[in-house]
Amino acid sequence: MTTDGAAITATASMRTVRVHRFKRGDEAPRTEDHDVPVDERTTVLEALRYIQLHDDPTLGLRHSCFHASCGTCGVRVNGRERLACVTKLSEVSGTIAVDPIANLPVLHDLVVDMAPFLARFPHPHPIVRGSELVPGSVAPEGIDELDRYEDCIECGLCLSACPVAATDDTYLGPAALAYAQRLLEEPRGADRDAILDWADQDAGAWRCHAAFECTEACPSGVRPAQRIMALRKQLRRRRDDRSRDVATAAPPTGGPG
Amino acid sequence: MSDTRAPSSERDPGVDEIVRSRRGDGPVSRKLPGPVAWFDLRSRSTGHLAFSLNRITGLGLVGYLYLHLAVLSTLLGGEDSWNGFLELATTPLFLGLDLLLVFGLLVHGLNGTRLSLIGSGYVPNHQKASFWALMAFGAIVLVYTALHIFGGES
Amino acid sequence: MAATTSPERSTRSRSWRWTAVTGVSLLVLVTIHMVAHHFVVDEVGGLRTYQHVLDYISTPIIFVIEGVFLVVVTAHAMLGLRSVLLDFGLSEQRRRLLERGLVGLGVVTVIYGFVLIGVLASRA
Repeated sequence: MTTDGAAITATASMRTVRVHRFKRGDEAPRTEDHDVPVDERTTVLEALRYIQLHDDPTLGLRHSCFHASCGTCGVRVNGRERLACVTKLSEVSGTIAVDPIANLPVLHDLVVDMAPFLARFPHPHPIVRGSELVPGSVAPEGIDELDRYEDCIECGLCLSACPVAATDDTYLGPAALAYAQRLLEEPRGADRDAILDWADQDAGAWRCHAAFECTEACPSGVRPAQRIMALRKQLRRRRDDRSRDVATAAPPTGGPG
Repeated sequence: MSDTRAPSSERDPGVDEIVRSRRGDGPVSRKLPGPVAWFDLRSRSTGHLAFSLNRITGLGLVGYLYLHLAVLSTLLGGEDSWNGFLELATTPLFLGLDLLLVFGLLVHGLNGTRLSLIGSGYVPNHQKASFWALMAFGAIVLVYTALHIFGGES
Repeated sequence: MAATTSPERSTRSRSWRWTAVTGVSLLVLVTIHMVAHHFVVDEVGGLRTYQHVLDYISTPIIFVIEGVFLVVVTAHAMLGLRSVLLDFGLSEQRRRLLERGLVGLGVVTVIYGFVLIGVLASRA
């Protein structure tokens, strides 16, 4: 199905999509039901675009690449964090409820304010950072070398799924902490101690309760929960190293004065 | 959700950036209000189930700690006072509550062991399997305990 | 980097560590406690009579074990409550207040527990 409905297939049927609606100035959010023609390949994003084009042009949503690499179309589909562009409606049963990702302020309908999400990251935070981890890969003919970008597409699905972020808006969260661990894995001149200091704060690595919902939600294989546990291991090692250094430090020589 | 926390001078400067960065004053999107979200397992998986169980059994056991101290305080009232409690404590309902206590202890203890390992950086890639394996072991212990408590065997 | 230089940084990992240590200790202590109170005595539910309890708690090694159990379980409970309440995103001031409150509650609990078993032991 294309977004203008020109090529609805013979197998198309109608499904109800229940969309979260909120505009600044509204007293409270509400939901609206829209009937959308779908077939076995129709994605949530295509359904939302159909609603925008045919039912209500004021529906607010974000999207960009249509292939799960930009991270802008994150939503909750029947309560579960998904990228709208690659989530097929055929995978979802019953009425399809589409809500904005959780634990971030809503600006408009399905659009959330990503600034508090991005503010959680350690600084500096280059948005594109090449990875050296390309084991076993072979560059195609004519290509000198491969450069793989970081897995995290900053979609915010992990923060939405996190039960700690559900009640604590200051928790640094899975994406930021996983990013810190990636900096430790490939520092490239980054200050290791500063990264560990940053992760060791009250709202940092020790706040995670290992629910692993961030890893479940992540569409990019970042495995934030596992990275947070690895970050804790690094913090513990640093603490043990420092204790050892203090214990083996030579006693001060000479008396007072 | 309004920000009811104290002013910036009392918080980590990094945390202030998160609060200050927010544009507009629309509601924060939540699955469910406040701590209810901790126990919402819809569309969630094993790790969240473990987290919710650990939290509810932990809070339950804290409550039990003080209930237990209160009950034991009846011993200070002498033999009659304690016997009064024993009459209640040997009823099937109360023995059932005892079993609930054992359930809570097993879930919290075994899952807590799992969390200690995972949180220390060990077996993070086997968190689901480790949870179910430990719960299976706990179920066996619970059945044995139930047979003992209700069967009256030592 | 948005880092903090609070001198109390070590309390973050320390709390987690002690929760784990007390928790693992409780695996042993709770097992001993439950076996002693439900699996040794032949009465229904394994519960002891008044005199049984006095004789039990007045045994020196038992008094020590139950005393250690009391301290460890109270510490674990207070650390656990701290962890849960911190998830509400408390300010630094409220966090310090919470910690002081929990330390106070823990101390009162342990003192009361020791007074209780002390009085009972003395009646045996």
